[in-house]
Amino acid sequence: MSMPRRRVAEHPTACGHSRREFLWETGAGFTGLALLDLLSRDGFFEQLRAEDVQKVQGLLAPRKPHFEPGATRCVFLFMNGGPSQVDTFDPKPMLEKHHDTKYDGGIEVGSNGRPIGYLMKSPFPFQQHGESGLPISSLYPHLARHADDLCVIRSMHTDTAAHASGCIQMNTGKVGIGSPSLGSWVNYGLGTENQQLPGFVVMIDPRGGPIGSASNWSSGYLPAAYQGTHFRSGQSPVLNLSNPDGVSLQGQRSSLDLLKSLNQEHFALRQNESELEARIESYELAFRMQAAARNVVDLSRESKKTHERYGLDNPRTEDFGRKCLITKRLLERGVRYIQLYSGGGHIEDTWDGHTDCISNHKLHAEETDRPMAALMQDMKDLGLWDETLFVWGGEFGRTPTSEGVGKPGRDHDWHGFTMWLAGGGVKGGQAIGATDELGFAAVDQPVHVRDLHATILHLMGLDHEELSYFYQGLDQRLTGPAEAHVVQEVLA
Amino acid sequence: MLLTGSKIVLFGIPVALLKVRGEHRQRAFPRNHAVRHKLAPWRRVATRMFVTFDFHRYHACRCNLTRAVTLEEMLVSTVKLLSHVFVGMVMGAFVVGAAEVSAIEPAVEESVPDGAADSQHWSYRPVSRPEVPAVRATQWVRNPIDAFVLARLEERGWTPAAAASPAALMRRLYLDLVGLPPTIQEQKAVSEDVSARGFDKLVDQLLARDGYGERWGRHWLDLVRFAETNGYERDALKPHVWRYRDYVIRSFNADKPYDQFVREQLAGDEIEEATSETLIATGFYRLGPWDDEPADFAEDRFDQLDDMLNVTSQTFLGITLACARCHDHKFEDYTQREYYQVVAIFNPLQRPQSGRSDLDSPAGSRLQIAKVEQRDAAILRQDGHIHTLCRGAANSFLEKVAAEEVKTTLPKNVIDALRVEWDKCTTDQRRQVRSHQSKIVAALTPWLDQNQREACEAALSAIAKLQRETPDLPRGYFFVESSPQAPPTHLLLRGKANSPGPEVQPGVPQVLTRESIRFLEPSSTTSQRRLSLAQWITDVDNPLTARVIVNRVWQHHFGRGIVRTPSDFGVMGTPPTHPHLLDWLAHWFTHEGGWSLKKLHRLILASNVYRMGTGWNDEYAAADPENNLLWRRSYRRLEVEAIRDTMLAISGKLDRSMYGPSMYPFIPGEILEGHADKLKIWPKFNEAQANRRTIYAYVKRSMIVPFLEVMDLCDTTRPAPERLITSVAPQALTMLNGDFVNRQAGYFANRLVAQAGTDATGQIRLAYRLALCRESTVREQNLMRQFIESETARRLGETEGLSEADARHYALTQMCRVILNLNELVYTD
Repeated sequence: MSMPRRRVAEHPTACGHSRREFLWETGAGFTGLALLDLLSRDGFFEQLRAEDVQKVQGLLAPRKPHFEPGATRCVFLFMNGGPSQVDTFDPKPMLEKHHDTKYDGGIEVGSNGRPIGYLMKSPFPFQQHGESGLPISSLYPHLARHADDLCVIRSMHTDTAAHASGCIQMNTGKVGIGSPSLGSWVNYGLGTENQQLPGFVVMIDPRGGPIGSASNWSSGYLPAAYQGTHFRSGQSPVLNLSNPDGVSLQGQRSSLDLLKSLNQEHFALRQNESELEARIESYELAFRMQAAARNVVDLSRESKKTHERYGLDNPRTEDFGRKCLITKRLLERGVRYIQLYSGGGHIEDTWDGHTDCISNHKLHAEETDRPMAALMQDMKDLGLWDETLFVWGGEFGRTPTSEGVGKPGRDHDWHGFTMWLAGGGVKGGQAIGATDELGFAAVDQPVHVRDLHATILHLMGLDHEELSYFYQGLDQRLTGPAEAHVVQEVLA
Repeated sequence: MLLTGSKIVLFGIPVALLKVRGEHRQRAFPRNHAVRHKLAPWRRVATRMFVTFDFHRYHACRCNLTRAVTLEEMLVSTVKLLSHVFVGMVMGAFVVGAAEVSAIEPAVEESVPDGAADSQHWSYRPVSRPEVPAVRATQWVRNPIDAFVLARLEERGWTPAAAASPAALMRRLYLDLVGLPPTIQEQKAVSEDVSARGFDKLVDQLLARDGYGERWGRHWLDLVRFAETNGYERDALKPHVWRYRDYVIRSFNADKPYDQFVREQLAGDEIEEATSETLIATGFYRLGPWDDEPADFAEDRFDQLDDMLNVTSQTFLGITLACARCHDHKFEDYTQREYYQVVAIFNPLQRPQSGRSDLDSPAGSRLQIAKVEQRDAAILRQDGHIHTLCRGAANSFLEKVAAEEVKTTLPKNVIDALRVEWDKCTTDQRRQVRSHQSKIVAALTPWLDQNQREACEAALSAIAKLQRETPDLPRGYFFVESSPQAPPTHLLLRGKANSPGPEVQPGVPQVLTRESIRFLEPSSTTSQRRLSLAQWITDVDNPLTARVIVNRVWQHHFGRGIVRTPSDFGVMGTPPTHPHLLDWLAHWFTHEGGWSLKKLHRLILASNVYRMGTGWNDEYAAADPENNLLWRRSYRRLEVEAIRDTMLAISGKLDRSMYGPSMYPFIPGEILEGHADKLKIWPKFNEAQANRRTIYAYVKRSMIVPFLEVMDLCDTTRPAPERLITSVAPQALTMLNGDFVNRQAGYFANRLVAQAGTDATGQIRLAYRLALCRESTVREQNLMRQFIESETARRLGETEGLSEADARHYALTQMCRVILNLNELVYTD
């Protein structure tokens, strides 16, 4: 069945539980009663009730994490289409050796049903960077400056070779549509610090959204309030943010004043209906959001030098640079979870380098390298580094073989690929796990997508087993029923 | 209460340890971590010691076979638990004062019918017919529903809230039954007869309206995860799936007995009286999402079967059988084997598809389909005849065409088909010849002799006659079962498609049946497994079917069911607040009510419980904050469909045309950003069509209309038994600034001018009548008049060269926008 036990907005307590439910859920016996009593004397329920009426946005109100978090916000840099591990962060000398030969060793090299070509070395030389000597390919000269902060996971693997299900799994943990995304879970778990902005922001590539579009930032069975908000870089970053045509700021305000006073009169006769008050408050919040959201995308408030650092002066880096700069401004304002997409639409407009992985990756890496590095640098300079978690990667990786003989494309590889984490709570300057000698499949310390999710939640102070939502007869979790492990080596 | 508490504790342990039962697990620890944090210190001394440790372990691995709890761990748990029980009892006795105990005694506990000694879960027991309880305030009792509710209130010395005012009741009833507010004429008619009789008559009138099926059909669509595309990468459309939506609306309006409604959806192709309509009804199974490019085909097949099983078991039976896919259900008595026995019922169903394309099928009775098949065979023979005649003459024609001496509009593949003997033509070539037949004959006429020409003509008219006599059947979207021989079904180890276990025969969970159910023998066309299932589900002795649907009807009238978890009647679900009432209603529904939903509505709506107002009582609220005893009417916001339809009705733009392909509401351009072919994703906005009721709005899984989504439309990928109600800023932005509301505000203002002239007071009074179905107060009129005046002045100041009339109309439009945003509009009293 599916009525979530935690009914939203109807319960007068901030925890979403009535005294009775609370009683049931704490054990129904003595201890429950004892606790209830202690808490009541402590003013727990009364206090929450009053607080809740004040902060009627109970759904989005900030909540404490399960334990001391490494980070309080998260930026997910989604390389849509699947970047190649052996061309970025997972150097494979064996490929140099066997370049352009038909592989006949012991490893079974598969493909996504497309022709399997010869082994193909990376055209991008690797170099060791920073004190840690972390190897990074020549695709990322700017990012390499942060080498000592990157925690590269080379042994990622996932369950699907298709983009749609791959993206959806990376975002929601399941290959099927309809489950809440990571960003929704984080907002459900932690609430949002800035009520005037959405807590979960998504910015897509102008060439198109990821396959499966909004399913990737859906709140699934969680309340719609937790779904990702598609943020645009134009004048009206959020849907319906601008006043209707011809309505001035003052006009809007006086309409809202009338609405408020009529609603207050209505409410005065129905004092006990907190839902009514919540709805009154939501209009005031919306009014404030109009200004706040527009302010965020007003990049004229940033210096020319900043524009340059993010690459806004270069057509190649301009779009991702703008998104990163907006991200910086969102992070400064306490937005909880931001997801940026590099690549959109189909095939070569994304990281999906089937035909020519070399020029594909050159393009997409160049578009993102400088802006990402600038964003990371700013977080360090602003003192927000320890509060911000960065996640980089796509829905899967690419094969060490070419796709067909004689063309420089690479096919999907979901048996092994690379992602990296950086920032709050992350131990940088290291690579975890390993693929086989060719870079095809994760062999040492494999990390499944659900392990990555458990790790991200952990870094944000949430226990992936405790963060659950009762729906259709079960306590649903991001990581699902199967066992998931926090990758301990990631933690600082 | 202390005793009760200790009983729970003492009885809880052995049961929990033998088999972890849901209720205990669920109560074991707070699900919301915010609470946990508040509790952290207390948890250490109490909760954690008491139960969390052990149950938390089960919780963590409850769905995880790879980490089973060992016997040793269990024994250690037991010892720890027993010591904690002692601590818990001491603490409980120490802390809890008797006064507090009575205050928090759950308001809902009522012994479940048929004696508590029966260990079987309440909803698995046969439906009883409880005695209607005696009450003191007999004058309040209009029917047994009132007696059941009042008896519980009187136990506490409580009285039900006073009845709602006639005006409030009227608006509530209209929105409840047809999802639209009453027109001014209707308001007048109602106000002339405010008696209870008059109210009953009004109920009859509203139930007879088309709007009833449009309102209540939508509740049903929520349950069956209705959408018109498959989701995933291509998000391809489900051809003709809107016919299922129409089937639902028609069924509700026709008051189709619920058992028949269920049978048609489960086995509309297998029932004796199968028609195109009942075939379309089986589209129920096929409404779910479908990945047309799955990572693993075998796994995907079982995902589809799981979807069918899940929607069937939740919707009709209110059970969570889908949880037993990988292992025995952790909290209910369903085994994994039983899960696959139910899968075996659906396994014969096949998806008509061609590669990634989802196909529709002709919908008709077996006889109709047979006739069409005969017709097509006869047409095919005529096709062959024509083809052969023409081919005889085609050679010289083709030579001329090849030499470009003759020009022809026939496509190349048709010409190619003419070079091949009919018997050797591919299916596609035959289809091409078919669709160009008269053109071929016309082109070849010069090369045909008199006899051949006449033979061709005769064949063409024979085809025309065949088509006239037996017209095509409507196309529908459903799975097909095309053989009496069902494929074998295996239990899957750990739920993995590549690990088949022993073969299983069709069956249903044993705990739900008193004796094992008998499956019918296969017919000449199908396995009849689904028909067998349908017969069992619609049997009056099925313990769940009637209870579940009666509860759903109650839920939509009162905002909440008697069982608060309307699709989970299992041990994990919430027990009924009024078990006797639920049973009485379920029994009445299948016996006196003859499965008629409209009769059930009449019964519920005739009660004084329904007519109660929202009057508050501090004392009752303190003891029963959730209003479980129904001492008043609870508030609940309208669903988005009712909100949108109401606005269209107020603005005067609502188009009442029913049925047929869906309409496409307005979608802001930004949403389509990044799509290459925008019109392919969403057709150009056609306002006249979009002004139809919201149930006709196209449901595209990858792009839910933002207005609907933000206003809490249900999840479209899974059965949704209840709408969430949220109040967040994006909703307010949508309602204030969005295209839809502003458009309607404009029409609303035009309507006020057209019907009330230019007098502000007249306009305001009319606006209140139309939108809120009541007279405006003098105070409200003054407020509104002041607003119009000041906005007119401000607008004149802001815009140069604007006429006063235009400025005033602007102000009136803004007033209309405010009215459409009022809480009073989206809530009923």
